[in-house]
Amino acid sequence: MEKTIYIFSSGELKRKGNTLYFETEENRKYIPVEDTGEIMIFGEVDINKKLLEFLSQKEILMHYFNYNGYYMGTFYPREHLNSGYMILKQSEYYMDEKKRLELARQFVIGAGKNIRQVLKYYNNRDCDLEDGLKRIEEIFTSMPEIITINQLMALEGNMREQYYKCFDTITQNQDFVFEERSRRPPRNYMNTLVSFGNTLMYTTVLSEIYKTHLDPRIGFLHATNFRRFSLNLDVAEIFKPIIIDRLIFSLIRKNMVTKKDFDKNTEGIMLKDKAKQVFVQQMDEKLKVTIKHRELGRHVSYRRLIRLELYKLAKHLIDEKKYEPFIANW
Amino acid sequence: MFVILVYDVGVKRVNKVLKKCRAYLHWVQNSVLEGDITESNYIKLKAELSKIINTKEDSVVIYTFRLPRYNSRETLGIKKGGEENIF
Repeated sequence: MEKTIYIFSSGELKRKGNTLYFETEENRKYIPVEDTGEIMIFGEVDINKKLLEFLSQKEILMHYFNYNGYYMGTFYPREHLNSGYMILKQSEYYMDEKKRLELARQFVIGAGKNIRQVLKYYNNRDCDLEDGLKRIEEIFTSMPEIITINQLMALEGNMREQYYKCFDTITQNQDFVFEERSRRPPRNYMNTLVSFGNTLMYTTVLSEIYKTHLDPRIGFLHATNFRRFSLNLDVAEIFKPIIIDRLIFSLIRKNMVTKKDFDKNTEGIMLKDKAKQVFVQQMDEKLKVTIKHRELGRHVSYRRLIRLELYKLAKHLIDEKKYEPFIANW
Repeated sequence: MFVILVYDVGVKRVNKVLKKCRAYLHWVQNSVLEGDITESNYIKLKAELSKIINTKEDSVVIYTFRLPRYNSRETLGIKKGGEENIF
């Protein structure tokens, strides 16, 4: 499976010997280009046009993040799977209020059921989350009454609020109390982790979208606008609980990240490089973990699972098969 | 699948072989590379290498493992190269 390259140090990334080459003051290394799927850049990296051409040719996405770890943008190579038909279909489903709601609802259902699955897991282990589960269950029952996207967004917000209330019980760590969701900038340690993790999830989904015929600009739950990609946000909703949140819990519970790993500055609270590296490494391993897929009857990795989700979505859009979100069952 | 590739080729072709292999695999130490490779890239690599080497003089040996589960890897002395994806 194609790998993700993460760069935290400062140096120069270039094309050399028909492959990728990363050079810093103390280190130089060739990176097998045929085995690279995406590059995530956190450090100060020099690049040139020759490299961009090469990445385009090899269909490698390059995501870059600013000093604080915020997503800044993606070098999105020329579309190699150019499907006007799919764009039309996506637009059709977006413009038709009923069709859009139906899809958006599926994303919320997926997110909600996976949230429930995460809570159940910790409830069975050592946390008492019965109350939280019950409240989420209640919110879920009002799902069939939803008739507009705005109501759906509100329901999703309520669900998340209840979900985040359970975080303190799961982490059992005074340093990582959740309080409330704060973004741009995150105002406590827990929120910083959630923001960083979500950013990684969005870019990972975006990379997978690039390998399908879908257009990342047309989302369904998240409104399409002039600024950003939105389809990756939709699909990420489903995977955030089972990949990112679980990762955060285990990082905290195993003390892999402690309060020493954060920096306070005027921009809020930020993760230090070392902790970012631990995070992406764990995330990378998580995406490689394989699980038995019930329908396919074979083992697939989490990363593959994201792609399969996109294929299901594509099938829904061309009226082949109704989309049903992936629900973890452990 | 996981492969280990070792080569012993004429000095004129060493660089060409190395360059080609580096596009697919991680360099470990002189004349040795390893890494994950897809079935199709494996075929591509073999085809491209056979175009470079002189079949009468050179030799390239590739060990393939369907799963890396049953092998272990130990290093004595310094670590020269190998797989890395976080820099």
